[in-house]
Amino acid sequence: MRRDGYAPIEDYALIGEGRTCALVARDGAIDWLCLPNLDSPSVCAAILDAERGGSFELGPAIPFGASRRYLPNTNVLETTFTTDGGSVRVVDAMTIPDGGLSPMRELVRSVEGVSGTVPMRWRFAPRFDYGAQRPRAEWRHGVPVATWGGEAVAVQHWGAGSPAWHGDAVGAHFDIHAGSRATLSLATAYGEPLIFPRQPDVAARLDQTIHFWETWSADRRYDGPWSDSVIRSALVLKLLIFAPSGASVAAPTASLPEDIGGERNWDYRFCWIRDSNFLIDALLQLGCVDEARSLFWWFMHATALTEPQIHVLYRLDGGLGITERSMPLAGYRHSRPVRIGNAAAGQTQHDVYGDLFETAWLYSEGHHALDHDTGVVLARMANHVSDIWRQPDSGIWEVRSGACHFTHSKAMCWVALDRAGRLAARGEVSSRHVDRWRREAAAIREFVERECWSDGLHSYTRSAGSRDVDASLLMLPIVDYADARGERMQGTIDAVCRLLRAGDFVYRYRADDGLPGGEGCFLNCSFWLVSALARAGRIDESTALMDRLVARANDVGLFSEEIDPERGAFLGNFPQALVHLALIDAALAVREAERS
Amino acid sequence: MTALASQLVGGFIGTLVLTTMLRGASEMGLTRMDLAFLLGTTVSVNRRKAKAIGYVFHFVLGLLFAFGYAVCFMVMGRSSWWLGALLGVLHALFVSIVVVNVLLPAVHPRMGTPDTAADTVALIEPPGFLMLNYGRNTFLVTLLAHIGYGAIVGFMVRM
Repeated sequence: MRRDGYAPIEDYALIGEGRTCALVARDGAIDWLCLPNLDSPSVCAAILDAERGGSFELGPAIPFGASRRYLPNTNVLETTFTTDGGSVRVVDAMTIPDGGLSPMRELVRSVEGVSGTVPMRWRFAPRFDYGAQRPRAEWRHGVPVATWGGEAVAVQHWGAGSPAWHGDAVGAHFDIHAGSRATLSLATAYGEPLIFPRQPDVAARLDQTIHFWETWSADRRYDGPWSDSVIRSALVLKLLIFAPSGASVAAPTASLPEDIGGERNWDYRFCWIRDSNFLIDALLQLGCVDEARSLFWWFMHATALTEPQIHVLYRLDGGLGITERSMPLAGYRHSRPVRIGNAAAGQTQHDVYGDLFETAWLYSEGHHALDHDTGVVLARMANHVSDIWRQPDSGIWEVRSGACHFTHSKAMCWVALDRAGRLAARGEVSSRHVDRWRREAAAIREFVERECWSDGLHSYTRSAGSRDVDASLLMLPIVDYADARGERMQGTIDAVCRLLRAGDFVYRYRADDGLPGGEGCFLNCSFWLVSALARAGRIDESTALMDRLVARANDVGLFSEEIDPERGAFLGNFPQALVHLALIDAALAVREAERS
Repeated sequence: MTALASQLVGGFIGTLVLTTMLRGASEMGLTRMDLAFLLGTTVSVNRRKAKAIGYVFHFVLGLLFAFGYAVCFMVMGRSSWWLGALLGVLHALFVSIVVVNVLLPAVHPRMGTPDTAADTVALIEPPGFLMLNYGRNTFLVTLLAHIGYGAIVGFMVRM
């Protein structure tokens, strides 16, 4: 049910094809679509401004109920609308190009009458450049076309009424009878002429797209518990990988709020180095070897301009120019500002070095030997980590309250030097400086064990000398810094549960982070808790928690960044890669614990 | 020195200087473009081997382009270092807009294009217009390197 024109975040499903994505609401409206790429300006952004953002609505013209699912093992969405007069099925997909001449990007909406007769309506109101630009409304051979600058969008329609422009929105009404069909195809172009597809070609591409996803899913290797959730997560992650470069966005959306009405609204359409080790691990464990190699090559290529320094996040084309700015949009349920770009790009976060080295190690462990040049770059980075680990940073949560000696950051610097040593022992990184790396790694461990431990809390602390805990501490056994069965880690797990847990969910911290307003519980922290419990041998606890957590996915198996622990409503950008990665890691950890 | 020998020597020295300038810019963090790597990965996924093969490709192309420059000089009836530098500007535009941005992704088995979708896994990101995906200074570096190449070829080539 929409409120003030905004659907709940959990009411959305994601469709895509490796270059861009769209969010489809339960009522059939597409409220988020960026063209031509994931990080391009939006054409539909009603999710950020119900009045001016633009959308593509399709649904019954009379009251209805809706149920939906992804077609099995695909990223193709099927919504069934039920009305008093009958029911109708809508299949939404972004098609994967075939060998023929197909549109630059194509979104297909296929309508099929199931029973009775259902009056339907559709309305496409494009607003280019994040709602700032109204389109030029035109016709080309009976096809409505919206253009602005170098962008053009055509709505091909078959059996879907006689559309008419009303201002700068086009739409039509039509009746769908049991067994009859209608098709809408959004064909788009950027900087090139539009391609107007023929109906048989559209139908063939839709079939081929379904077949592609079924085949891709069938190739995934996973034989553990919660397999449906793991495969759905893999399918989501595949949509978040930008196929032209191999980079992966943290989420396909921008500025969905962490607190309704609040200002914690960020653009996640960039590639975070932080996600890399989870992503490489998940891809390799699930048999996505090509995607893992592509991602690793991209990381080494993207970081080439700045190494030995690594930035926190990169654009999908590997660039660094990421300026954060506020857009004149109303914001999801009036959550302002709506930010595009991300100022975290300018932060110093030392944990990213550990993430990149863990990525290199996992890649190497997956029987992909590192080449000489990569080894040289990694050696320079390890020397850099040896130089900087004593300095404070902004930490994994990108706090804006000033630099601090975060425990997680120190531990990840240890991970960087530890993996550098392991790679050197394997001959994949020069061993010239390995003694220094070992010395500095020992110094980090000594610092963490002395300065980042509280006897009072019986736990590692959020930062050196603090009296707070932090959910990122759950990562310590995941990255092999700490033994999950050891006394210190058991104490830390208990402290996190005692101080940060709200039911099945875990707050990331309760300390000041330099920003006003509150936030929900980060769902990746809950899955990290599952992983930590499993690694600590507390299998029953971890299994029970995992069962409850996977049940909190929305009706099509997706998770947003956060959840309101009291109301269960999703918050933050959606769907979020790190949450689905943490889910996969948790499932693998429990499987491993059960087997051992 | 015969005309042919001057073209070969000019092409070789010009390519050497061009390659050194591009490599130097890469080492200085000005660009992520590596022409040898881009060319060599058309035949090998082994990065080290690819670079070696790519350097050979690049030098062969450098010699071929020197012949092209010589033909232009013959048509114009004169040659000089500044005429070569001017051709270098056109050469850089041709390489940046057509060769690397359009032709290479079309034939490169491991390079993505703006049309690459989920059914294909690309190992190398596409260069983009003027190769700007490889860093904002990439075109400037390419332009200067090709001006250097053209000036050397223009100076060396005998009619």
